[in-house]
Amino acid sequence: MRIPWIAAACLAALPATAALAEDDCHAPRAAWQPREAAMQAASRLGWRVEEIEADDGCWEIEGRDAEGRRIKAKLDPATLNVVKLRHRDGGRDRRREDVRAPAAPLAAPPANPLFQNGKPPVVQVN
Amino acid sequence: MKSAVAAFALTSALVAPGLAAARPVTFTTTLNNYGGDGAYLVLYLTDAAGRYAGTLWVAGGKSKYYDSLAGWYRATGGDPAQIDGITGASVGAGRTLEITLDLADALFDAGYVLHVDAAVEDMRDSPDDVAVPLTTQGAGKPTPGRRYVASLKYDM
Repeated sequence: MRIPWIAAACLAALPATAALAEDDCHAPRAAWQPREAAMQAASRLGWRVEEIEADDGCWEIEGRDAEGRRIKAKLDPATLNVVKLRHRDGGRDRRREDVRAPAAPLAAPPANPLFQNGKPPVVQVN
Repeated sequence: MKSAVAAFALTSALVAPGLAAARPVTFTTTLNNYGGDGAYLVLYLTDAAGRYAGTLWVAGGKSKYYDSLAGWYRATGGDPAQIDGITGASVGAGRTLEITLDLADALFDAGYVLHVDAAVEDMRDSPDDVAVPLTTQGAGKPTPGRRYVASLKYDM
């Protein structure tokens, strides 16, 4: 599964107030700090940036932390706070998507014959 | 013939749900410790002719990645109407996803196949990581997956 490059291009085309519900960051486009500011924020954290791009509404950085471990991080583009950090060589930050509780179904399930009586499935992750 | 009977029963279930026989079925998907990010999973059914019959659950919240669930995406075009209200978070390596729903009896022993497509960021996609026919005899028996899925079983 690869991050589509077109996502970054589409981001630039969004209206200033738009924020995608699926995004990890939700700052309006006008509030974004430039790429250079994000690089400086990373540098202050002791990171060596190998790649930076706009993704999921954030600045996404891949590189190495101060200990030389491979990292992938997302910065809020307005505040430059770290909203996600993953160590690619092992240890992981707890702000990963998969440690969230599964989302409760928001509506009735789709109208297909698999769902008897219109009841949504009961789901849990152990 | 069996599939025609099943199709009739399913149509009846839609028209007159009170008349259709159904039972709670729990699908348990356990992932391997593959050492990557949370997996996007989709559980869906095909009928005896191999046609898409419906989606049971999508684990993974970002629709931009759904095309990585290649078998399901090819069948549905990623149609959001297929999955309204039946999506949740991705599933971490080594963890187990349990889904319980009332499923029509007519789906069993009628050629329907349960498919699980899986995808993980920066790793290879795995359409049909596991696929099992829905049969009453197969209930409770785990089936191993190919890449990210350690096992899949259904109990009723």
